[in-house]
Amino acid sequence: MASKPVQTPKFIVRALLIGAIVIALAVLPAFIDSYTLRIATGALMWAGLACAWNIVGGYAGYISFGHSAFFGIGAYTTAILMQSDFGASFFVTLLPAIILSIAVAVVIGGPTMRLRGAYFAIATWAFAEMLMQLVTVLDFTGGTAGLSLPAYLNEFFFYYTMLIAAAASFVGVWLLIEHSRFGFRIKALRDDEPAAESLGIRTNLVKVQSFALSAAITALFGSIYAYWTTYIDPHSVMGPQITDQMVVMVLLGGLGTIWGPALGGVLLWITNRYIWSTFGDTVIYLPILGVIIALVVLFLPNGLISLLVGRQRGKELISNILRKF
Amino acid sequence: MDLFLQTLVNGILIGGILICLTIGFQLTFGVLHVIDFAVGGWAMLGGYTAYWLVTLAGIDPFISIFLVFALFLLIGRGLGPLIYRVRTSRYARPDLMALAFTFGLFLFMRGGALWLWSYNSRSVESVLSGQFLSLGPVTIPLMRLSAFLMAMLFSLGLFILLYRSRFGMAVRALAQNRDHAGLMGVDVKRVSAWVYGIYTGLTASAGVLIATIYSVNPTVGIRYTLFAFFVAVLAGLGSVGGVLIAGLALGLLEAYVATYIGARYSLLIVFGTLYLALLVAPKGVLGRGI
Repeated sequence: MASKPVQTPKFIVRALLIGAIVIALAVLPAFIDSYTLRIATGALMWAGLACAWNIVGGYAGYISFGHSAFFGIGAYTTAILMQSDFGASFFVTLLPAIILSIAVAVVIGGPTMRLRGAYFAIATWAFAEMLMQLVTVLDFTGGTAGLSLPAYLNEFFFYYTMLIAAAASFVGVWLLIEHSRFGFRIKALRDDEPAAESLGIRTNLVKVQSFALSAAITALFGSIYAYWTTYIDPHSVMGPQITDQMVVMVLLGGLGTIWGPALGGVLLWITNRYIWSTFGDTVIYLPILGVIIALVVLFLPNGLISLLVGRQRGKELISNILRKF
Repeated sequence: MDLFLQTLVNGILIGGILICLTIGFQLTFGVLHVIDFAVGGWAMLGGYTAYWLVTLAGIDPFISIFLVFALFLLIGRGLGPLIYRVRTSRYARPDLMALAFTFGLFLFMRGGALWLWSYNSRSVESVLSGQFLSLGPVTIPLMRLSAFLMAMLFSLGLFILLYRSRFGMAVRALAQNRDHAGLMGVDVKRVSAWVYGIYTGLTASAGVLIATIYSVNPTVGIRYTLFAFFVAVLAGLGSVGGVLIAGLALGLLEAYVATYIGARYSLLIVFGTLYLALLVAPKGVLGRGI
């Protein structure tokens, strides 16, 4: 009884804040030009991708360097099904893309997630590179030349599609991980795998489930991205830079938090576009990305989100930072 | 049969250089417990240093390799304490934080090289370029032979240092148990930093050899990080001896695939084998990995 009046206002404030963000995002396209709209669409995509990576990297504690494989699976499924021989419409291709990515994640995840730490990182990386090489030598994927999709030039459509996909991913992850037993299992597994197992958690099953969930969300964004850019090739949708960005966004925002990846994703993507429009290319972006990772690891291992979560933790954090010097 | 022999020789010569590329990486893993993503980046920077030395100062790569080794030994020695600090920090998951840190380092090197020198490939010329040695049916480019011998020289030097010196004894003690080595009077921080320096020196030297045989451009780093991972995983992470077998295995695998199946499949097969090797034998061929 005593706790209820204390909790309610906090809950209302939080709900109002989220409602305000949703409304702001929904009416945003009416106020900006089409160039800024494209940047906003990209920001939504990267926020969603970072959120997907965070399931495995942040909550389950398995650093995956192979998520570009799932992005590519989504993009290529959509692209192949929308070629003239199949002629499927865009929304129809989403389901096969997600099912295929889940199937691959289960087949790959089962054996791979028995590996720990660095071995897992190397194995997922090898798998993603292998898949990229495979797509390069196969014929029906168009080889190095890539594939073109039927163009649909409606920026509003893509903005709202990305918005719905990103919002659905966030709500899904929030419900599944912050508010269900599944979330407790994942976090228990991250914090102490043998202990979690001894408590009766089927760790292998939970690991594969989280990997599949993460893969499905990644593939969904891959599909939308392919239709949005209308042209894909092995490097643009399966190259290591996709995974690089996902990892950095989550690290920058805060591993294993719900809002951190979104914050990191949006900030980094806007930085990327700003550099692109200032320097004319994104080459200088790579070393900046590298320096950001190194600085975050050294001084802010809990991510930017830890700067916003209250005075007590902030104080601890600053004392940590000062001790580094 | 001639083609088979020629491929065998090519595979062994490349394998020797891969041994030199990976041996320092293994030592770092054994002592610092850090998987260094930047291993290909060090090799690339070594290649570029040799390129600038031969272009601007006219120093042959087979002489400048010693300068490159010394330079990167000092750079690595300077960076070592930082790596050690990340790896031993009291935050959650320092192993993954160290992986992320070297990953950032690697992005910085690759991006910096792209920004400064763009995508162009540069070849490092030596006096031995274009000379051949004929042994019956087999033709050996003199450059590859000398590079192989140089790689063996560096690897042998590391073994002598490890097994015939007081410093080597301290390094081996650290690899066995960091706390006990510290209690026995080994300066853990300093030795770890020097190990990181030796690793960057060796890897950059291997990069010089690779650059003289092929060429160097900012994107080769990923490829050599992959090769180093492959050799290290096959050898068993942290096992220095296993590298000798695994390095030759990768050299031969790549040579035979390129000759008999086709060069465009070589990376596909190398990545596929790496993935399978990780699943089947994560402790490596000798079963001595950590």
